[in-house]
Amino acid sequence: MAIEQYANLVRRLCLVHLKNQADCEDIFQTVFMKYVLSTAAFQDEEHEKAWFIRVTINACKDLLRSFFRSHTVSLDELVDLPANAAEDSREVLGAVLDLPEKYRDVVYLHYYEGYTAPEIGQIMKKNVNTVYSLLTRSKKMLREKLGGEGDE
Amino acid sequence: MNDRLHQAFAAVEAEQELKEKTRQAIARRTKGYKAKPRSAGWAVAAVCSLLLLVLGGAGGKLFFTPVSAISVDINPSLELNVNCFDRVISVEGYNEDGQALAQELNLVFAKYPQALSALVSHELVQACLKDGKDLSVYVACDDPQRGREMLGQVKACVGKGRNVNCHAGNLAQSHSAHSVGLSCGKYHAFLELQGLDATFTVEEAREMTVREILQRIEEISGKPATANGHGHGKGHGGKHGMQRE
Repeated sequence: MAIEQYANLVRRLCLVHLKNQADCEDIFQTVFMKYVLSTAAFQDEEHEKAWFIRVTINACKDLLRSFFRSHTVSLDELVDLPANAAEDSREVLGAVLDLPEKYRDVVYLHYYEGYTAPEIGQIMKKNVNTVYSLLTRSKKMLREKLGGEGDE
Repeated sequence: MNDRLHQAFAAVEAEQELKEKTRQAIARRTKGYKAKPRSAGWAVAAVCSLLLLVLGGAGGKLFFTPVSAISVDINPSLELNVNCFDRVISVEGYNEDGQALAQELNLVFAKYPQALSALVSHELVQACLKDGKDLSVYVACDDPQRGREMLGQVKACVGKGRNVNCHAGNLAQSHSAHSVGLSCGKYHAFLELQGLDATFTVEEAREMTVREILQRIEEISGKPATANGHGHGKGHGGKHGMQRE
């Protein structure tokens, strides 16, 4: 079932965009409902995965843009970082969440999912040079916060 | 840092409760309904139509195949892909100004000399020239004869200002440049600087203008960069298979 296969992917994308569990539940229902009702014929698993990434990111952005949310969410909400994660992982996730929003998707897609800049450009419908710029800048910002040599 | 990022994201998993709630919500809202994928018949019909179009328009393939590229760098950085009929078939912006300019100017299907003239006479490019920035134009073409002709045309279009450089090279270098997200002109300058300073990276090149790269080449080597064609008359070849005029 798609929920079992893609739940972690959707959860991680929710983490980089959203600040609380209730929003995350909304996104889960939106994304998997769209999948159930979708008539798209996927060519293969990669195609289906790219569909989930795109739909989840768009759903998160729509939610953040919504009038109700923009007028009701306080700025001091706590981010739901996984409670059982090691201290280092919490520090790293904190550094990722401190990045401006436009950098977070590409960081996740590149460093965790292993997509290249041209692939990210295709999935997110962004110019490949824009993706390269976002990756270069995010790498620099993360290196400043976390230390290390970037692509090791 | 890569491993730390990977481990940190791996630690995030969808909670069982979240998955269960989603399943229940979907079952409640759809009552078990599941949309059927589009019928394969539609796909077959679409493919047949496409095939007819392709077969019917063999010339279309020829028309839409780029045989050369003209890369323009000043502050806007963009590239014109040109077919064998000397028509621009696509325009690619390599920075924000370049993308904006590519969208603003309707250059597709124009003859490349007209497209280049329109580009160079645009107020943004003119303002850069007045500011003393270097205009670098690079012609990438695998046919040397055609490359020379194009370079001549390009020079006629952009003029012979003190800060105008025109070069020519092959398409292989153009492909290498695109694979790392640089325009041909900047990639050529990058290769030359990397030859002098092995620590120079593509990321650094991306953040610099062509002029800045050329300046660094001149600082290190003590002589004008190969990629810098200021008033050097005629010349062909060069370290990376570039022709310079």
